[in-house]
Amino acid sequence: MKLDDDEELSSLLREQASRHAAPDSLRAGLRAQAALARAGSPAVAPSPPPAQRLPRFGWRGLSASFALGIACTLVMAPLIREAVERAPIEAELVSEHTRALQRGTLTAVVSTDRHTVKPWFQGRLDFAPPVFDLAAEGFPLQGGRVEELRGERVAVLVYMRNKHVVELYVRPSSRQRVPTPAVQKGFNLLHWADGSMEYWAVSDVERGELLRMAQGWQARLLSVAGGA
Amino acid sequence: MDPLQDFESRVLPHLDAAYNLARWLLRSAQEAEDAVQESSLRALRYAGTLRGEDARPWLLGIVRNTCFNMLERQRRQAEMLEFDSAEFELARAATEAEPTQQVQQRRLRVQIDAAIRALSPALREVIVLRELEGLAYEEIARVAGLPIGTVMSRLSRARALLRTALSTVSQGE
Repeated sequence: MKLDDDEELSSLLREQASRHAAPDSLRAGLRAQAALARAGSPAVAPSPPPAQRLPRFGWRGLSASFALGIACTLVMAPLIREAVERAPIEAELVSEHTRALQRGTLTAVVSTDRHTVKPWFQGRLDFAPPVFDLAAEGFPLQGGRVEELRGERVAVLVYMRNKHVVELYVRPSSRQRVPTPAVQKGFNLLHWADGSMEYWAVSDVERGELLRMAQGWQARLLSVAGGA
Repeated sequence: MDPLQDFESRVLPHLDAAYNLARWLLRSAQEAEDAVQESSLRALRYAGTLRGEDARPWLLGIVRNTCFNMLERQRRQAEMLEFDSAEFELARAATEAEPTQQVQQRRLRVQIDAAIRALSPALREVIVLRELEGLAYEEIARVAGLPIGTVMSRLSRARALLRTALSTVSQGE
């Protein structure tokens, strides 16, 4: 190859050298971080209400209210525990999701191919989550990671929908549930269960998109079951 | 003021350039992503200091410093060489073995990429900024924090090395 002058070399480099475009996951992660930073930034904290003067109790009144307090605690404790256990898992999923976006490390295993993601979970979980690349449905698989949810290790599969991150949390369950949408802090969630696993999709994409993803997922599961 | 607006107007339009620079300097997709992530957050934090200036050299400067800090920490032996001919020969040998006519275009690209990769980070930086990102000499000087004379001499050194390396490449007839 003759490269007599800088001009020739320049055009060769310009035309032939690889230019690496920023991956969509990076773009989406940064945008999400900026959005979170904005949401967290308004420094105008609501000013505390002016301190109210406490009504004066005598000692007798004070001890009476103390006794009442103990009584309430005794009665309420089991109820409170039940309420906490029943508290929607959606809030935890959304904070898990936003924490992951904030950290920027959405995937511990990076992939565009389920054959590298599925084996990665071996030894990291006591169950084998199904893994599908839903690129054909418009949800390319980016990778996965393991997350702790209420003391249990769950699989998290990370997908992209256009420029948005969609996370799918998977854990074993014998329940059956049709896809049920929920909204939490502006994020859309979709929960379903198929008798073997239960799933939550979490994202800022529209609910319809999550439904489409769930349908794609279920179709893949059926075709695997039917083909096997 | 508004992080999302700063991101949309100052970082996002130059994200490809930022990633390309990091990818070439660090020669690893994962490390490049980390570097751009770190740089963008730093950029957003200091977006207020950017008054009416062009955001591209400003952002690329932050990226470049992050990358060189990472390289410094790793202190790879091969990075000390002005041109790593062993690495270049290895990459070249791999493509020369490919026989068919159809791969020739790809082979050219691979060899050019290999030649750029073989340059030392200091020389690779000026080549990527000038030839791939099309920055003016003054902009490169700003990004790299170098006198313009140093930019010019590094560029001419890098070009000479690339010309030598690529002169033996078969363009394929």
